[in-house]
Amino acid sequence: MTGADIVAAAKYLAAGIAMGLGAIGPAIGEGIAAAHALDGMARQPEMEASLLRTMIIGQAITESTGVYSLVVAIILIFVA
Amino acid sequence: MSGQLGKKLILHLKVGGVDIAFDLAVMAVAVGVTLLLLLLSWWLRRGLPHDPEAPPTRRAAFLAAAMELAETQLLGGLPGRLARDLLPFITTLFLYVLLCNWASILPIPYIASPTQDVNVTFSLAIMVYTMVHVYGARERGLKKHLRSYLEPYPFLLPMNLIGDFGRTLSHAFRLFGNILGGAILTAIVLELAGKAMRYLFLAPFALVGGVAVGTFLNLWFGLFVGAIQALVFALLASAYIQIAVE
Repeated sequence: MTGADIVAAAKYLAAGIAMGLGAIGPAIGEGIAAAHALDGMARQPEMEASLLRTMIIGQAITESTGVYSLVVAIILIFVA
Repeated sequence: MSGQLGKKLILHLKVGGVDIAFDLAVMAVAVGVTLLLLLLSWWLRRGLPHDPEAPPTRRAAFLAAAMELAETQLLGGLPGRLARDLLPFITTLFLYVLLCNWASILPIPYIASPTQDVNVTFSLAIMVYTMVHVYGARERGLKKHLRSYLEPYPFLLPMNLIGDFGRTLSHAFRLFGNILGGAILTAIVLELAGKAMRYLFLAPFALVGGVAVGTFLNLWFGLFVGAIQALVFALLASAYIQIAVE
């Protein structure tokens, strides 16, 4: 194995680690958001439409930390 | 399909010794979306009666309902006068990002969402950043607006500056990452589905299966995620302006 091979292997490994670990946080966070939204919907079914909308927007914002790791992984694979 | 991921139509121009690259597909789709929006607005505007007292036509009623919806949904947090003022900007931002995201479902080679190009999302985010400071300075006065960086304590100035910078960075990267990630996932899952079918000796069903998987992926990552991200982008823009004018 030459140096270039090691660097290439390290890039793929790093991209996998970045994406795998980076996906944990947003997944837990979005699950919590969905659980609480369901809680609210069960208690007040008439609020369902507004709760669903707010939940989806909140989840889309929560997702951004996962998106950062995705961007890092993409940069590692395609750019660096 | 995934072989097309990195393929781009790039025009290299040398201007004064500086190499400038133009992504032609992105520019074509971006200009196409702009023309489509212009055409739509022209068509809707033409349907308005000249006399404001006349009974509303169907187009006028649709326009009024759509603007009402945008005003309550996108600009709900802003004071009424400002909401009217910012309605064209925020609504255009929403429609532009929406149509750019939806462009990715067109089955044309090289055609992809302009929003998966980091330059497009950064120009949009910098536009919003400019509007935030213009409206902050206009509504509160330049002095008070600049002093807001020293709050709550003057030694927190670096924190406020980094926060300002990071907010714009995350605004741009959120849209870019979501749309690019969706595009990559669509391409990879489609190819994997085709390979899996070949290994499972389901080759006769490959076309039907490929169309089904492709339709689902494009519905989810193209239409649904695209609409959500466009809504989030416009909502955050209006929220940032709201924070600056308060």
